[in-house]
Amino acid sequence: MHPTADQLPAGIEVCDCLTPFGDAAATATALLANRRALSLTPVLGRDGGDLVPLALLGAMDETLPPRWLPALRQLAAAIPVDDWGSAHTPVIITSSNFGVGSLYAFTRDHDARHLVHGTPFASVEFLRQEFDWGEHVHVFSHACVTAHLGLAHAARLLHAGLAARVLVFSFDFVSPFVAGGFHSLKILNGTMPAPYAIREVGAIGLGDGAAFAVLTRDAGPFRLAAHTLHNEMFHFTGNRPDGAGFAACAASIAAAAGGRRVWVKGHGTGTLEAGRLEAVALARHFPGAPLTGWKGSLGHTLGSCGLVELAVALAALRGSGSPGKIPGTVGGGTTSFTDTVALAPFSVAEFDGAILTSNAFGGAHAAMLLTYD
Amino acid sequence: MIERFLHHLRVELPDADETATAARTRLADKFPRTALRRMTHLGLLVGSALDGVPLGPDDALVYASTFAETRALEDFLGSFPAASPLLFQTSIHPGGVQQVLIGRQQPIARLWPLAGRTRLVEQALLTALLEPAPCVALVGGEERGTWMLEHAMAAARPFAFATILTHELAGAAARTAFRPGLADDESCPSLEDFATALAERRPLGWCGAGGAWTLEWL
Repeated sequence: MHPTADQLPAGIEVCDCLTPFGDAAATATALLANRRALSLTPVLGRDGGDLVPLALLGAMDETLPPRWLPALRQLAAAIPVDDWGSAHTPVIITSSNFGVGSLYAFTRDHDARHLVHGTPFASVEFLRQEFDWGEHVHVFSHACVTAHLGLAHAARLLHAGLAARVLVFSFDFVSPFVAGGFHSLKILNGTMPAPYAIREVGAIGLGDGAAFAVLTRDAGPFRLAAHTLHNEMFHFTGNRPDGAGFAACAASIAAAAGGRRVWVKGHGTGTLEAGRLEAVALARHFPGAPLTGWKGSLGHTLGSCGLVELAVALAALRGSGSPGKIPGTVGGGTTSFTDTVALAPFSVAEFDGAILTSNAFGGAHAAMLLTYD
Repeated sequence: MIERFLHHLRVELPDADETATAARTRLADKFPRTALRRMTHLGLLVGSALDGVPLGPDDALVYASTFAETRALEDFLGSFPAASPLLFQTSIHPGGVQQVLIGRQQPIARLWPLAGRTRLVEQALLTALLEPAPCVALVGGEERGTWMLEHAMAAARPFAFATILTHELAGAAARTAFRPGLADDESCPSLEDFATALAERRPLGWCGAGGAWTLEWL
């Protein structure tokens, strides 16, 4: 048994992201060149601590106004003009961090000005006023599958005839709050991540990331054709050891993909057990499909990773090469869990679709089918 | 018009100053002892509201909370520089409902955790009405904060509610419907208002999201 995928195609009118490499095109170019944005950085910023791999847009310590505001202004400049936040052109904000770095800053310096953007609703209200959006701003927060929820919900709004155009906007910026949290779980340590690699110690990196997509009912050359979600509810930070959760999600999106020839952008944080279960499930349901992952370079952009990596995938597909190339698994090891793991860039010529997946705490799984002409 | 019928309706509206410790004692018989000691106040209230609700792996759950795991968040921030792994896990939205479902080992197809404020109830209802699952749990709640409450960043009182939305009229307690049409936005009930309306079997109606909303009791 596996969940049934939503098959409600939505056209991607525009989609872009911002990472330490720059916009989606610059990020795709950097990944194709096998560059890492991650560097070893004190886990608590100016408060010090162990060195851990972080990919940051500037220093991690929170500022006034918040350090993510200039980046989001830069990103938002590329959003097409519309009456965003109206009932028929709603905004969906997806994040797992929102402005939580400001709460951490407040506990350090007791400057109440941080609190204006310290909680999810406060940071969203701050952005709503900054960008002059209306009240119809939906806010989802489901750890590292959050962006998938926003994209899937947008498709439902479009197909129900309740929205003409939906802006999905996502941002997650690393703070001592989240870096300290993952460090306490010991999966953010002094080792660079090597997604899908067989090695002694698992490790993740964290990265700043923001992205947006405007989805429409019009098909366009790039479409999100299907979404699937599954929640194991087995353990807060672990997956069912038999891989049933990965298999359920992979089977569902494979059924939606039908006979398409796809490549796969996996979650691939660099943890060992989840990486193995993921790679094996994807290889079983997409035999021969190359599996790539970019968190070994960009770090894990948390609740935004699904949208950031979608933007990178689209930029690679639109790339200047003919045919375009998809970045391989940056930072991968010499021996991988499956022989489907792509360690080098590969041509898109033989594919007409892509599967993009993310996973999260609670055994949450998400996948979407990207199709293109 | 999109509509669903409300079955299994339970609301937790404890005293405003109820503590997690008091809730743990009051609700002890609803949870395994091993899980009980780690659960947050919101998790306990959500678990009580969901007590006896039969959810299956093909079902969906919409979870609404503006402030979510406030106390875990406060305590996690207080644990620095030796950050607590348990509090980190617990502080992450949607930990309140995940505690309950993990305790039950209850997989579900889709979980939609919303974290808005002004139109949170409307958006949660819309999310639930657009769900194709035959059985959709609509769950929400808050727990009372301490220092974050002093800064208006937490709820002033704890509460939780749970109801199951289906297409089945038979045996339903209420009906919620959205009728699309031209209408100016009106004020949307707050999450606490909505919980209170459920507890009091009070009808609701307002305009928003491009249509008219109703909650009618049968």
